[in-house]
Parts: sequence; structure tokens; C-alpha cells
Amino acid sequence: MKKLLQSLFILMCIAGSAMAQNRTITGTVTDKEDGKPLPGVTVVVKGTKNGTQTGGDGKYALNVSSPSDELVFSYLGYISQTVPASGNTVNVTLQSDSKSLTEVVVTALGISKTKKTIGYSETTVKSEDINKSAPVSLLGGLQGKVAGVTISNTSGSPGGSTKIILRGYTSISGGNQPLYVIDGVPLDNSSIGSDESYDFGNNANDINPNSVESMSILKGSAATALYGSRGSNGVILITTKKGTAGKMVVDFSHATTITQVASVFKPQSTFGQGWDGTFIESENGNWGPKYDGQIRPWGAVIDNAQLIKPFSFIKDNVRKALTNGTEFNSNISLSGGSEKTTYYFSYGNVMSDGYLPSDNDSYKRNNFTVKAATTLGDFNIEGSVNYVSKTQKFVAQGQGISGIGSSFYEDILQIPQDIPIKDLRDYKNQFFNVDNYFTPYAENPYYSIYENGSRYKNDRIYGNVNFGYTVNDWLKLQFQQGADVDNAGDKQWHNKNAPSLGSYNDGGNVEGSKRAADVGRVIEESIKTFEYDSKLNAIFKKTFTDFDIDGVVGVNYNDRGSRFLTTQVEDLAIPGFFSLSNSANKPTSTETERHRRLFGAYASATLGYKNNLFLTLAGRNDWSSTLAPGNNSYFYPAASLAYVVSEAFDMKSTPISFFKLRASYGETGSDTDPYRIYDVLNATNITLGFGNIRFPVAGVAGYSIANTLNNKDLKPERVKEYEFGGDIRFLSDRIGLDVAYFNRLRVDQILPVPIDPGSGYLFQILNFGKVRVRGIEAALNVKPVKTTDFNWDLTYTFSRQRNMVMELPAGLDKVIINNAYDADLVAIKGKPLGVFQAPGPEYSPDGKIVVDGTGFPVVAATNKEYGNIQRDFSMGLTNMFSYKSFSLGFTLDYQKGGVFYSGTADLLNFVGADVKSTFNDRRPFIVPNSVQKITDANGNFIRYEENTTQISEGKIDDYYYPTTNKALVYSNRILDKTFLKLREASLSYTLPKSIANKIAANRAVFTVFGRNLLTWLPESNRTIDPEVSNQGVDLASEFGEFRTAPPVRFFGASLRVTF
Amino acid sequence: MKKINIQYKPLVLSALIFLTFGCKKTLDINNDPNNPPIEQASPEVLFPSGVMGTAGIVGGELTILGGIWSQYWTQSNASNQYKTIDTYNLTRVDLNGPYDRLLSGALADYNLSIKLAQEKSDWRYNLMATIMKAYTYQVLVDLYDQVPYSEAFGGAANLQPKFDDGYTVYVGLLKEIDAALAKDFTAPLTTSQAKGDFLFNGDMDLWVQFANTLKLKMYLRMVNAKPGEAQAGIAKLYGDGANFLATDAGIAKFEGTPNNSNPFYEYNIRRLNTTTNIRASRTLSTWLVENEDTRARTYFGTLSPVAMHQGDFAATAQEQPTYAGATVAAQSATDPVWFISESESYFMQAEALERYSGGVGAKAMYDKAVTAAFAQYGLDAAPYIGSEGAYEYNTGGSFDQKLEQIIVQKWASLPASGHTIEAFFEQERTGYPKNSAVYSTEDDYVAGEWVYAKNGVTAGKFPKRLVFPASSRDRNKNTPAEVPIYTKVWWGK
Repeated sequence: MKKLLQSLFILMCIAGSAMAQNRTITGTVTDKEDGKPLPGVTVVVKGTKNGTQTGGDGKYALNVSSPSDELVFSYLGYISQTVPASGNTVNVTLQSDSKSLTEVVVTALGISKTKKTIGYSETTVKSEDINKSAPVSLLGGLQGKVAGVTISNTSGSPGGSTKIILRGYTSISGGNQPLYVIDGVPLDNSSIGSDESYDFGNNANDINPNSVESMSILKGSAATALYGSRGSNGVILITTKKGTAGKMVVDFSHATTITQVASVFKPQSTFGQGWDGTFIESENGNWGPKYDGQIRPWGAVIDNAQLIKPFSFIKDNVRKALTNGTEFNSNISLSGGSEKTTYYFSYGNVMSDGYLPSDNDSYKRNNFTVKAATTLGDFNIEGSVNYVSKTQKFVAQGQGISGIGSSFYEDILQIPQDIPIKDLRDYKNQFFNVDNYFTPYAENPYYSIYENGSRYKNDRIYGNVNFGYTVNDWLKLQFQQGADVDNAGDKQWHNKNAPSLGSYNDGGNVEGSKRAADVGRVIEESIKTFEYDSKLNAIFKKTFTDFDIDGVVGVNYNDRGSRFLTTQVEDLAIPGFFSLSNSANKPTSTETERHRRLFGAYASATLGYKNNLFLTLAGRNDWSSTLAPGNNSYFYPAASLAYVVSEAFDMKSTPISFFKLRASYGETGSDTDPYRIYDVLNATNITLGFGNIRFPVAGVAGYSIANTLNNKDLKPERVKEYEFGGDIRFLSDRIGLDVAYFNRLRVDQILPVPIDPGSGYLFQILNFGKVRVRGIEAALNVKPVKTTDFNWDLTYTFSRQRNMVMELPAGLDKVIINNAYDADLVAIKGKPLGVFQAPGPEYSPDGKIVVDGTGFPVVAATNKEYGNIQRDFSMGLTNMFSYKSFSLGFTLDYQKGGVFYSGTADLLNFVGADVKSTFNDRRPFIVPNSVQKITDANGNFIRYEENTTQISEGKIDDYYYPTTNKALVYSNRILDKTFLKLREASLSYTLPKSIANKIAANRAVFTVFGRNLLTWLPESNRTIDPEVSNQGVDLASEFGEFRTAPPVRFFGASLRVTF
Repeated sequence: MKKINIQYKPLVLSALIFLTFGCKKTLDINNDPNNPPIEQASPEVLFPSGVMGTAGIVGGELTILGGIWSQYWTQSNASNQYKTIDTYNLTRVDLNGPYDRLLSGALADYNLSIKLAQEKSDWRYNLMATIMKAYTYQVLVDLYDQVPYSEAFGGAANLQPKFDDGYTVYVGLLKEIDAALAKDFTAPLTTSQAKGDFLFNGDMDLWVQFANTLKLKMYLRMVNAKPGEAQAGIAKLYGDGANFLATDAGIAKFEGTPNNSNPFYEYNIRRLNTTTNIRASRTLSTWLVENEDTRARTYFGTLSPVAMHQGDFAATAQEQPTYAGATVAAQSATDPVWFISESESYFMQAEALERYSGGVGAKAMYDKAVTAAFAQYGLDAAPYIGSEGAYEYNTGGSFDQKLEQIIVQKWASLPASGHTIEAFFEQERTGYPKNSAVYSTEDDYVAGEWVYAKNGVTAGKFPKRLVFPASSRDRNKNTPAEVPIYTKVWWGK
């Protein structure tokens, strides 16, 4: 067989080189629909290697030898044409094709394939879809557009994180983010430096979406097996723009956007400032009397003067306290080249300011890209360098840092709804300053904007060089070296303040309460990350009569890590001067270094039969530095089958224009984080509950046994997934439906499992458990109207995932993923991953709530379940009308079901702003349907008796807070996660060519757009958008939010011009 | 036409060789650069960590718990922080921190210190770590009645250690102390090692006194449940001529800077948004005022504190207008945390003398105790213990009356000791101060008697222990069944 192949091959080569060439044919290739010239069309003399490509103006020139020759014109996405080579000029118009047969997509390792040959689900999104509404982050414009892909902006601040989850959660440890690969090189997507208070974004957000040509989203294991360890949650393959042969093309775009808060909590509007039903001017609660509209003094008395205002509810109080920000997003690119050498240069600039007053919530980014490719005989070299510089300022969110300073959102929530928040902006005014702010229990929110702050700056360079060598027409060797180096630093500061001796907030208020001083703090952090990735691939492709085979064999070496140094000092000597030296205390430093390496060897081949049946087999073996020797080598296979039924059988007489069936099975293995093998000591840091004692103490160093027990016997994690799907299109692709069913099983997960403290440790790193996720994804595309002038295009996506914890470590019936205030997000065997458990009431056998002697419900012995994080389903609808030069589009995103914990709800209940806290008009009541348990002196049960003890007026507030009523409050904090959002709306106008030409442009498009425009939340959640979180961007973030900034909406206009 | 002559076999072979040999070295980068390996642990770094771990918990969260339950302080009506404590509404999800951190922190560090010290026959660290382990364990088991002891600290080998009952733990600890005392620990510590002994700067004689005083305390705890053993143990101490503490044992080295302060201060003052959560309780303050006790100024910053009735935080401003100005507990960032104070040592000796020596020398010891209790704040006890003084020893009284006097004085000596939890334990052991039949708002309330917290959820029953925490309940099947918080522990009266 091998001999035969070789001789066949030689024969072909000889045939090719034997041709003589003696006549030149020229011509232009244009698009049939709009008559525009088509650059890059391949023109080949049929049956030969002799060929060329059209230039930027659609023109070509080609030598032919015989009048009987035929020219084949082929171009991606267009129907190929074969035309006799008669005369000297051959002009051709090409018609765009049903994409289904010719669409080329990028698959693992950057290998382009005809989509019909792949046996797994793949979605490609083009630059236009990515950038329609000028998002500054890579996936910010794709929400609701891709089935099975959940994209959430978790932050309400410019430059904040974006959470991407493909096909739901299976990793309990929280490694559920996909791998980003840019032009073949893995990209660092860490967010070191961010925490619950500060969100400086995930690193993938550094990519300028304008330089992206397309993104290929690979969700299943069969698709990503070649990426190994890091591909187990799917891969987002990014192909960046590059130059094409022809004259220089200049693209310019600019968008100006207004940023604004999208949705804020809706407070109760009946009761005003006070506590226990009494008006108390120093209280942060809305537990006072009913609003009566009477003019009343409020706040501190200064020099015998006091402010007055009506005691009435202020509508839109929070919204009025925020401002409109602006965002400018400008990009220019220059590209072009000759047939041998191409170049591409781009510069992008983002200046974004959020909805808080001042520029202390802002994001500035500069992106430079230089890319070039050249061919030298059988060699080709391609390279790109990208430089990103970013400056972000972030206003702390979440829980205030005890003893250091409060956070803006916590302070906002603690302002009774009759106090005009907006007016407090004058935070140095004698009534609103540190001494005399109306309550000692919180700080003026504007103080934390203007006096505290943070700044994150980074310089990042990433890019790659590619050396290619074409050995022969079926074999190519490729070496790629990629690098991604980020050098970041941030500074966080809190100013020092204390109420003056004897002032209103130093006990001079009616309650005698004192606010603790903020001692001030400075933190300086240095964050360096690096990733080097080398690959050597042999890529082959060969066609026989009925068969064709293509594939890759390669090796990969990856070296990545980070260094994180943080230094802080507390208690500033000179207020307002933020330097590590500005304190009587010594600064303390912590250093964290992480480093890991991985070798991989892999092979993949697709065997095609009669161009309608394609079988792909792949396998990879990894050797990882993070597992113990002996356990650190692991192999995993993948196989997929694609059957293009519409090619195998003649379906021309049916309405079916394309029909493909897919089936695949894939495995991936994962290593773990570094340093989980050998046990260590930690520098001693005693946590007190609030505060710490850190060594050194009194000149003595201390080390303590780490709380986590490491594990030498860790095995690699495994993901096993099978998938079935199909792609069917009707009526010349006017209707297309793509459906996939998948079943993914993740076993031997590695994570710290809480263990009994009696073991001497709190956690042990274990391999354990099985989590399964099954689901379906469907994308329906319909073009109800398709005429020359008017087109209507609809895309509907649906996905539903069901996941289940199948096994947990021996002896454990649950594992806690995240928790706050006694609400736990847990993994329980036999239940979906991420069940909420929290205290609940004890019930009598006949279902009545048992209360104690004070009339408050008794907490049940075991925690109650409050639902889980899993969505019932997700749907997206993108609708697009285009009429002549206008196009109008919008995208809706509907996510149904699931619950989340809201730290905002917790605080709103505490201060009595939550609507639910107005039960019974706040008059004393007996807990409905409750009984008292009568016991004897030894606590033995005697009987239940009807409860007659009221919750008195003084205790109504306690009824809504866990310190007193643990049993009932969690249902007010764990909220429905359902939402419907108008994610995007845009109206574009393509300027007539005549006008465009006047500014020497080929094309100019003007767009007005909005993102995240409208949000509908269920009646039970009037608190906060469930998408926001300050708990990171992975599974733990599904816990919910803890006093996070509300989300942003955008309105803007953009202009895109191509010269 | 070129011939294709790529030699696959050597390529594959060399790749394989590279992967098998090159990999091994290249991949050997998994030793944590941020934290030293556990093999490098030494008593010199572990022991001070453990001592501070004990001080952090006993002197932090447990001092808040002990101070509220011993009715020195109560939850402010204008805030929320400690309502669960002041209503006896502590469930398995509350106060997990002290349990977790004492076991996996301080005690695990002592345990490894002892192991390493014994391997090196370093009997000085063996003694110091054993005493601190015993002290810490005793606090823990007194709170929970049962804890993992014989199977504790097994790491991966025993993830679900069994619980031992309190008596077994006591017997085990006493045995460990005796074994450590039997060794030759006379070799002096080096200067830098001595610096790491926050209690006594390497003075082994003081450690022996601490050991004896701790043993005395543990035997006294057993007087209800194991009277015979208690008496025998104490008789042996006296018979052997044991020296007891004549100084405070604990930590007085806090610098007062963030992360290096008295843990109660760090927790309650520096790291909370209001500094006024803990207010004076009527229970203690009325007693101090009635006796014109000058320590009121130490504990509350004033000789006439404005106090709240215990647990009365839900009272409205109309009902209790003085609460807004209620006195806040006095505390500072450099306050010491004593494990056993000097006066406490004398009070215990006074009790032992009353119990087992027919009271010979008890009065002198009592007077010494009260004198030391005042002297630590620079105050003079003489007018109180002298003839006709408010605290004059009731020499002619019954044993119970004298015991009450000793224990009530001990209670009054502990608010600023950094281990208020001891006063709570002693009340459970002896019944003193007495539980009041009426609330402190009533006219017939006797100053200093403990009142049932106004909003208590246990139907009039005082708390006697903590329930097992969720961190044990959820992770260890051997966790004993939960009993109500008002169930006495094994040595309780």
C-alpha cells in the first residue's frame, strides 16, 4: 500500500511539472449579489497545480498552455465555477453558496477544516457579530447568541470580569472556565490581584475584539482533546485578523457610549428612618414610622442648627445618586501586502468611565498589534506581537474591610430611603463629614469614592512566531513558539479617618454609639505572569479516489507561572498620603510564586470516505509537573464521526439542502494546581474571626502546620464525554437547525475537601467524585424573507443542562463549595451540583413551625435546601432586519430558574429596606401557623401547644435577620435567578458608496446601539441583577453576590469606515 | 523531484528519550517555593505559633463568649453583633472558628512540637508544649464535653477520629503532664529560644509552677464528678511540695499594632465598624457599685457605669432611655491575655485548703488572691479585705459560704484577664455566683447574681456548653449526638 501511495504521488508531481505555459489570461472576479470585486479567489487550471489568486481589486492573471484548458474559480463561501479558458479575458461572477458544504472552520491546534467533516458541535462567530455594539471585551457582544455558552458580566465597573461557561459546570474545584487560544497559542486568563473587594478583570478581557477575525467555540471533549488538561471545559479559539494581498486597506472605527447603572434595588416605600418603629436620627435603618410627609430635622445638630427635609420616600434615590459615564472605543488598522508577504497593524484605544461620580471607576486600554507573514519557497514565517497597556481604577465593593474602611455599596444600602443620597456627595460639608454623617453605623458613601481607591496597571505582550515548511504537497511541518508575558501592578488605598472626640459619631448621637476609626491602609501589589508554549506539528493531508486523510502529529511544551508580591501597611501617619512608608507600623509582605510545566504528545487524523463520511481519531499524552512522579503521565483519546447524508444520497428533490449527523466521544485528562503534593508549613497567621495575629510577634518567627493536607497519590482528573448531533437545513439553507445532545462525566476531581479539624487539618486535597452534566443545545436559523432589498434573519438558541453529583469522597455526604452567613453552596450526592443549604425552621409532625419561648422559630437540627444554581433552560433570540442600507437587530437573552444568595438582600433586610420586611404592616404578629414545644425540666418533649407569643414591635427587625431568626430569613436572601434581558439592540446604516467615496472611503457604516438595555426580574427579586458577583468567575461565583456593584447598561453610536 | 526521506523512527525514538529523561528533570519543579516543607518544622517555630494560637482564641472569641455569659457585659441595644451569644441561641453553625482553629491550629502545632522534641530528647520543649497542649485541650473539652483526643491529629490516616469523653481526656492530659515533668529539662534555652517563650522567657521553674497550677485547676474541676480522684490528686500535689504560680501566666507582649494586638481588642474594636457593641451588664456593675469596688474604673472606665440589664437589647428607647448612654467595656490593644492569673492561682489554693486541709491557711491565701486581683491594676485591696471590709473573708462561715466567697471574688477578678471563659466554667462547677430567681429589673434582685438573659431562647435554662460545630458534625460521623446547650458537661454541678 505504501509503495502504491508513493508512486501515485510521484506521478502527480511529474504531471504537474511537465506542463508548458504559453498564454496569459486576465480577468476580474466579482460577487454576483453586489457586483463588488472579490479578492483572494483561487484560480486554477483544472487538473493542474498551476494557479493564482485574485488581488484586492478582484483581478487575476494566469498563464495557460492549451485552449482546451478550463479554469476553476473557487472561494470560500461561494459556489466554485469551472469556465473554459477561451480568449484572453475571462470575467467571472461567483454566487455565494449555501455555507454548509464549504464553510471552513478552525479546529483544535488552529487546523482549518471544512465544517462538514467535523463530528462534534462547533460554533463560529465572525468579527461583525463580535463587534456590532462595540464591546470592549472579547465576548461582551455575544451574550445570548451562542447555544450552550453562558456569558455574564459579573461586574458593574468598567474593565470588570466576564464569566464564560460552556455547557455548564462539572468541576467542583472551580476550574470551569474555557481555555482561550489565540492564533494557536494558549492565553493567560488569570485574574490574580482581584478579590471580593476589587475586580480588575480576567486577563482574556485584554484582547481587543476589533482585531479578531473570528472565534471558534469548541464545547465538547472530542473537539478539545488535543488541548489536553486545559481543554476540559471547552476552548475558545481566536483567529486574529491579518493582511491580505492587495493595496493597503485602512479600517477605522470609533464608538462613543454612555454608561449608566442598569438596574438597582427597589426598596419598600412605606417606612422611613429609625428602628423599632421609632424615628431615630442616627439610625441606618428603615425601621422607623410610616412616611407622613412632615418636615422634620435630621442628622447631627451643629452649632444649634440641623437640616430639615420631608419625612417621605424618595423615588429613584439610588439611581439619582449615580451619574452617566462615557466610554470611547477607537480602532484603526492598516493591512495589505503582496502575494508573498502580508502585513497587519492595528491600534485600539478604550477610555471608559463607569456610573460612579469621578473617574475612580474607569478603564483605559491601548492595544497594539503587528502581524506579518511571508513565504520563501517552501518556507513560510508568520509572526505577531501584541502589546496591551491598561490602567483600571476600581471602587471597592463587597463587605467593607473591617477596621480599614467601608465599601460604597454597603454604605449606599444603609441610607434610609427618605435621605437624599445625591446630596451627600458634598462629603466634606459639616453635616455629611466624618464627624457628623447622620449615622455612626456606616460612612458617607462618597467618602469611599473620593478618599479611597485603587489603580491597576499592566503591560502585557503576547504573540507568536510560526515557521512552516512544506515538505511536499501532503506534508507540512510547523513549529510555533508563543509567549504571553504580563507585568502588572496595583495599588489600593484607604484614607485614615476618625470621628473627633465627642463629636456626633463619637458617641454624641442620641444612641451614644461610636463609629470605629478607619486607620487607613496602603497595599502595593506586583503581579507577573508568564506563559511560553512551543509546538512542533507535522500536518498531513492526502486524497485518494474514495478516501482522503488529513491529520496532525505533534509535541507540545508549555511553561507557565506567576509571581505575586503584595505588601501592605495599616494605620497611616499622615492622612491622604498613600505610601508604604507612611506609618508607624512595619509593612508586611507576602510572596506567592507558582510555576508549572507540561509536555504533551498528540496525534489526530480524519479519514474521509467519498466526501460524505468522516472519521476523526485523536489521542494525547501529557506529562505534568503538578502531579507526583508516577502519576503524572496520562493518555486520553477522542473519536468523532460525521456523516453528510445530503452528500451520500441525492436529496435535490426534497426541501433538504444539507443534512449531517454527528457522533463523538472524547476524554480529557487534567492535572492540578502546583504544590498540592507535598505537605508544608505556613508562616503563622492566627485568624481571630475578625482580625488576625500575624507572626513575627515580639521578634519571634512562627511557622504552623498548614491547614490543608496535601496528597502524594493524586491522579489526573478525567472528563469523558459523548455527544450526538445533527445539522439540517431546508430550502436552500433558508431554515437551518443544529442540535446537539451531550453527556459529560467528570471523575477523580481534585480539590480541597473539608475534613474534621480533629484530624489536625481543615482540608485535604483529594481525588474524588463524579459529576455528570447532560444537556441539549439547539440553534435554529430562519430567514423568513430574503429579497434583494429586504432580509429578515432570525436566530434562536436554546440550551438546557442537567448536572448531577454522582459520587463524593468516602464518608462525606456533601462538600461545601462556598458559603456566607451560614448559607452553604454544596455538592450533594444525587443532586445537582450547587445546592443551597441554610438553616430552616423546625416543624411539628403536622407541619407547623415550632417556635421558642420568645415566639421566634426554632432552627431545625439539619439545614434546609433552598434550591440549586442550575438553570431550567436558557434561550436567546437574535432578530435582524435589513432593508437596503439599513439593518436593525436585537438580541434577547432569557435564563430561567436557579437561585442565588444575595448579600445585598441580607443588608436590605437588616436595614428594613426590603419590601418583604413590611409583612403585616409591621405590627406585632404571631408567626403564622406556629406551635410551642412544651418540655419538662430536663428538656424532654411533652406536647405541642398553639403559639400565642407575639413578635413584638421591638423585635420585628430581628425577625428579618439571622442573628435572631436563622430559621426563616434565608428564603429572603436566596433568590430566584431568572432574568430576561434585552442584551443588544442596534440600527446600522451603510452610507451610499457615493458619499463614502467623497471621504475616500470604500465603505462607511454608522450604527446606534445599546447593550444590556432592559432587564426584567421576577417579582420575588427586587434586589439585584443575578448575574453580578464578586466571588470570581467560576463555580464559586454561582453562590451569588455579596454587596456587589449593580450592572451597567450602554447606549452609543459608532462609525466604521474602510478606506 | 526530491525524494522524501524523513526518518521517522529516529525522530520518534529521540522524542521518546527526551520525554522520559528530559521530562523528569524539567517537571521536577513542584516543591512549594512559598512555604517550607513540613519536614523542616521545629519546636522553635511551632511552639510560639501554638501559644499565640491559644491566646488568639481563648483571649478573643472565647473571651467575648465568656464575658457575656459570665454577665460582665451584654450586647448593646443599638447593634447586633453578639445577639446569638446573649440569647443562648448558638447552634452548630456558630462559633466554629474557635473549635477549628484550636484543633487544627494551636493543638496540632503543640502535638508536632512534642513529637519533634521527644525525637530529639529536648525535654524543655516537650514540657512547655505538653503544658500548653493540656491547657488548651482542657478549655476545649470543658466547652464541648467530648472532643477527639486519643485519635486526634492523625492526618490522612484518620480523617474521622473518635471523640473521647471529657474525663478520659482529663486523665490523659494529666498523665502527659506528669510524664513531661518526670524528664530532665534543666538544660537552659538559648537566648533566641527563650525569646520564643512568650510566657516565662525560658524559666523552667515557672513552667513547673504553671504545670502544678494547671493540675490543681483540673483536679478542682473534678470535685463533683470524681471527688475521690480530685482529692487524691490535690493531696499528692501538696504532699510533693508542689510550687504553684505566684505570677501571671500568659502573654503580655502585644504591640498594639494591627495584626499584633490583644485579640479581644483586634476583634471587637479594630475590626468592627462600631466600637460600642459590648456594654456593661447590670449583673457585674451593680455588684461593683454596691461594694464600691474601684475595679469598676478598670473594667468600665468609670466608678459609676451606666449598665444594661443582661440581654435586654430589644428594649426600645422609651422603655430604657439610659441604654443609649450605656457604658462600654474598657479595653486596650496592649491588654495581656493571661492563661492563669496570679490571683486565680491563689483562689484555687484557697479553695483546696478549705476543701482538704480544713481551711488551714485559706484566709491568708484568699487575702493574697484578692490583693493580687486589685494589685494587677495598681489598686489597693486592703480596705476591702480588712476587718468590716466588703470582702472580708468569712472565716466563720460554712464551707459553702466560703466557697461562694472565693468563687464570686474569682469571678470579679477575671473580666480583664483575657480568659473570662474561666468564670463561666467555675459557675457551672460551683453554682457561684448564684443564679437569680428574678430578673435584674426587679426590686428583690440581689446584686451580682446571674440573671437569665432577657431574650434567651432556652426557656429559662442557663447555657452550660457549646453544641458540636458544623465543621465536625458535617465531616465526622463519630461526632456525638447533639444535646441542648443547657446540658451540663461531665464535671458540672
